[in-house]
Amino acid sequence: MSAAAGDFRLRDGRIGAVLLTGFAFAALLAPFLSPGDPLSIVGTPLVRPFTDAAVPLGTDRLGRDVLALILHGSRTTLAVALAAAFCALAVGAAVGAAAGLAGGWIDEGLMRLTEAFQTVPGFLLALAIVSVAGPSIASIVAAIAAGAWPGPARLVRAEVLSIRERDFVMAARAIGMHPFEIAWREVLPLALPPAVALVSVIVAGAILTEAALAFLGLGNPNVASWGALIAEGRAVLRTAPFLSIVPGTALVVAVLGVHLAGEGIAARLSAPVHR
Amino acid sequence: MSRIARILVRRLAGIVPVAVIVVGGTFLLLEAAPGDAVDAYLASTGGDRALVEELRRAWGLDAGPLARLWLYISALAHLDLGWSVAFSRPVIEVIGQRIANTLLLMGCSVALAVFVGSLLGVVAGSRPGSAADRALSLGSLALYAVPGFWLGLVLIVVFSVELRWLPGGGFETIASGLTGLARAGDIGRHLALPVAALGSIYLALYLRLMRAGMVEAWRQDFVRAALARGLPRRQIVWKHVARNALLPVITMVGLQAATLLGGSVVVESVFAIPGLGRLAHEAVVQRDTPLLLGVILTGAGLVILANLAVDLLYGWIDPRVGAGAETMA
Amino acid sequence: MATRNPRRFDSFAVSRRQTLAGSAALLAASAWPSRAQAPRRGGRFVVAADSEPRNLNPAIVASNGVFHVASKIVEPLAEAAYGTKDGLAPRLATSWEGAADGLSATFRLRAGVTWHDGKPFSSADVAFSALEVWRKLQNFGRVVFKDLSAVDTPDSATAVFRFAKPTPFQLIRNALPSLTAVVPRHLYEGTDIGANPYNAKPVGTGPFAFAEARPGEYTRLVRNRTYRDAGQPFVDEIIYRVLPDRAAATGALEAGEVHLAAFSQVPLDDLARVGKVPGLQVVTKGYEALTYQLVVEINHRRKELADLRVRRAIAHAIDRDFVVRTVFLGYAQVSDGPVPKNDPQFHAAGLAMPGFDPARANALLDEAGYRRDGRGVRMRLRLLPAPFFGETKAFGAYLRQALGAVGIEAEIVGNDTPGHIKAVYSDHAFDLAVGPPVYRGDPAISTTVLAQGGLPAGVPFTNQGGYRDEAMDALIARAASTLDEATRTELYREFQRKVVADLPFINVAEWGFTSVASRKAHNLDTNPRWPVSNWADVWLEA
Repeated sequence: MSAAAGDFRLRDGRIGAVLLTGFAFAALLAPFLSPGDPLSIVGTPLVRPFTDAAVPLGTDRLGRDVLALILHGSRTTLAVALAAAFCALAVGAAVGAAAGLAGGWIDEGLMRLTEAFQTVPGFLLALAIVSVAGPSIASIVAAIAAGAWPGPARLVRAEVLSIRERDFVMAARAIGMHPFEIAWREVLPLALPPAVALVSVIVAGAILTEAALAFLGLGNPNVASWGALIAEGRAVLRTAPFLSIVPGTALVVAVLGVHLAGEGIAARLSAPVHR
Repeated sequence: MSRIARILVRRLAGIVPVAVIVVGGTFLLLEAAPGDAVDAYLASTGGDRALVEELRRAWGLDAGPLARLWLYISALAHLDLGWSVAFSRPVIEVIGQRIANTLLLMGCSVALAVFVGSLLGVVAGSRPGSAADRALSLGSLALYAVPGFWLGLVLIVVFSVELRWLPGGGFETIASGLTGLARAGDIGRHLALPVAALGSIYLALYLRLMRAGMVEAWRQDFVRAALARGLPRRQIVWKHVARNALLPVITMVGLQAATLLGGSVVVESVFAIPGLGRLAHEAVVQRDTPLLLGVILTGAGLVILANLAVDLLYGWIDPRVGAGAETMA
Repeated sequence: MATRNPRRFDSFAVSRRQTLAGSAALLAASAWPSRAQAPRRGGRFVVAADSEPRNLNPAIVASNGVFHVASKIVEPLAEAAYGTKDGLAPRLATSWEGAADGLSATFRLRAGVTWHDGKPFSSADVAFSALEVWRKLQNFGRVVFKDLSAVDTPDSATAVFRFAKPTPFQLIRNALPSLTAVVPRHLYEGTDIGANPYNAKPVGTGPFAFAEARPGEYTRLVRNRTYRDAGQPFVDEIIYRVLPDRAAATGALEAGEVHLAAFSQVPLDDLARVGKVPGLQVVTKGYEALTYQLVVEINHRRKELADLRVRRAIAHAIDRDFVVRTVFLGYAQVSDGPVPKNDPQFHAAGLAMPGFDPARANALLDEAGYRRDGRGVRMRLRLLPAPFFGETKAFGAYLRQALGAVGIEAEIVGNDTPGHIKAVYSDHAFDLAVGPPVYRGDPAISTTVLAQGGLPAGVPFTNQGGYRDEAMDALIARAASTLDEATRTELYREFQRKVVADLPFINVAEWGFTSVASRKAHNLDTNPRWPVSNWADVWLEA
């Protein structure tokens, strides 16, 4: 039974991989598929999708090409999400490894810090950081990462705690290897993979958080972004619903793709155990 | 010392350093913000130079940041959350007016997500790999991918504007004069859509947890033993498998408390519910430091309480004991 | 409505104009029978409010957000009106007259008026409000009444304002509707006025009395049973329901949960559709004295922008018609200078604002020595659109593109409200900013502060761009102290010509707001400051 479920998860994972590859292509090829500034006004406002070949997905309230905005927006969305996930993982791994290896009051202090970040709702934190720092790509990435790093940190710490008592680490310590070298060479390569499995969750969360921030008016105004498109479309939700439906669909499909791909990877990682 | 008391003491002792970090961090964050409460205020009024200076003095913003942080912390030690300049009221009073709304919204959303999610998870997990399982798993994942604000807007358009079944915003009918059950019904009608928007997103989480737990449980010895004994499948599902899978669900409720509070910011804003989430947004926009600190501390307090409750619940229903006893019988 | 669309249209706009004209005709058709109906008494008038002012004392805070609620409770000496002498209608004062020397102004006050708490109203209240509140505390009263030295009260129905220096009565008169809310002396005297608890639950003489406020939910006003005008007000209650989200306001209107959303809370893009929803109406009248101006503020500290040729080039790069048509969907007017066209009292005809001409803009920039580099960029500027309105942000997006077309690369810096105020008006950390200053019916209390030099930093909506011109400052000072109306008016026309020639800032468009309301509500446009007037004549169909 579980093997069957595993197969489904692998197949879902392949669907996810296909979706993600599509988005990666859109993001990479956006400058070629739709050259020029996506934020430039090219036609009359609020043209409906599929009515004008020049703007296949219609135009927004200022007359900008929705297809160009979606294509270029995928760059922003994926860049923000990947960067946020990378930062969260890097910070989380560093904090978790430091806490797990150092132990004592350093561990205590770092874990209290982690706990403090976990008790503050991540979105509230992101909201405050972006309001304060102004909506730029960097501040949005930092804001999302600020709410996402405690998860990997706890996971890495737990792994490190279990690994550091194992024989080969003891051996390394016995032959006088520097603690940093032990951490880098012996412990982290084993402690990281479980945390990497969190990437899909973090990326999906980052896409949604970026959109929610843009919905509250905290997107970067200089680049195209799906969240900003939805925020703009929400004002004309009844008059031009396509303006929120098109980027909303892109968003849902992207997040779904990430989730499915994550499932597939998890299934692949755990499959040998079950068989 | 009893187990529950030990959990309580450990948790409570952990609160103080966490609170200090949260207060210090939030304070520094708002200190780094461009513009202060006076700038926010002047945007709607304008005013000359002397007025600007008078306001800064009156609102205590002319002192240095460290002096203000110290003032705040020493007041906090006396459980005084300070004065909200944006509302011209004590922070505690402003939060008091809103906290019940948020608790109700969150409570109902969690209940919806956990109850419906677990139920569907049981359905999915009772026959892993079946068509129902596939449909539920994929459907819930798709729902989990939907942004909450978007779901809220769609619900408003369909159920409030088009069908006119439910009110599209607010916490209750304004100055309705209703009391007792009638008022509760009125609030329920207002909360139906926001709870649906906030709850359905997290529903997926519990569905998947429950399902995964059940898939795991099917492999456990005592379940195999029960199967071998020829017990009816339905009975095994409910008595052994589902019960065993409930534990991670409870853990998740505690873990999700903070996320849910974050999600309520957007949902409260879409549905015009005067709650803590929207208050936090207003506090940031108005640069009302004491208010934002108060909301974040309250939020952190709620999260800590939720986790405490989960800990206690965990200790109360240790399922391994129950399940073990069952298999022995 | 259609007449507000001032210019030629492309095919898209024609169809839009037709729909607008169609809904206008619909409106007129349904308005006829209802005009004939007799006003009905009773009912609860529910109004969407996107903000909740903490201080509801209009004598201290003269802003539209406060007036929206407080003007029903606390009355000014006079209110703006259509087609009357001086454009005013009596409120607490029945007549007003300025002395020729500009050193005094006499107000005859209404007799027999009582405060909501039952105490009688008298000239002492006016004297107290003027001397202790308007002159000392009010954001704009501090300018208009700065030379007020005393208020004589020869009897309970007469107040004589005495000025230490000649003060133009034209200015006082124009300030009556917005700056002269009278508060009860017996509740304020001897207290810390700024911290007085009645600022949050005002007591006045108006048609409605304050009942209760639930922060984040609503503010409730009830009918003043002793209002002087028998029969008015018509409605029993006014409820301001807090709906900070614009989409939520539209939904609440369509669901019939609120009767009115004023101040363009319903986004312009939705108006064409909302106007066709049965039971709803779009009202654009009633905002004539509440004009907002779309202005490009310029930081003259940047050496490029200190060059008039560059400023003219920027003005030439902006297609004002396009802005009105696209950003404002026709609900605005092209601006030709610092005084809106809908103020015939002061507006100067024939101003030579640089028109849309990208070729001329490019030529001017070349001439100024800012040539395009390899990437076609002449200079890079920071552009800060004010975050207060969707229109200021949308115009920011347009301006970025329009400047790009003439080789100026503008990077939009997005800030929230306090961040914007601080960056532009305190730190001067901008090159170009988009601001929406309010025109207050007299240049002395609005637009001149955008051109006057030497104003202290940290004061929002004033000249913080570092522009300083002696002739301009002299002109502003002379106009401010000129008593003769004709001369004073001519000086302000001279001011407009100088602004258009010098371009210390660039006016792009001017707009009033729109209301969307239930068709059951009547008399929603009876004066030029309607949303911030007293609403005594508003009534609801059953």
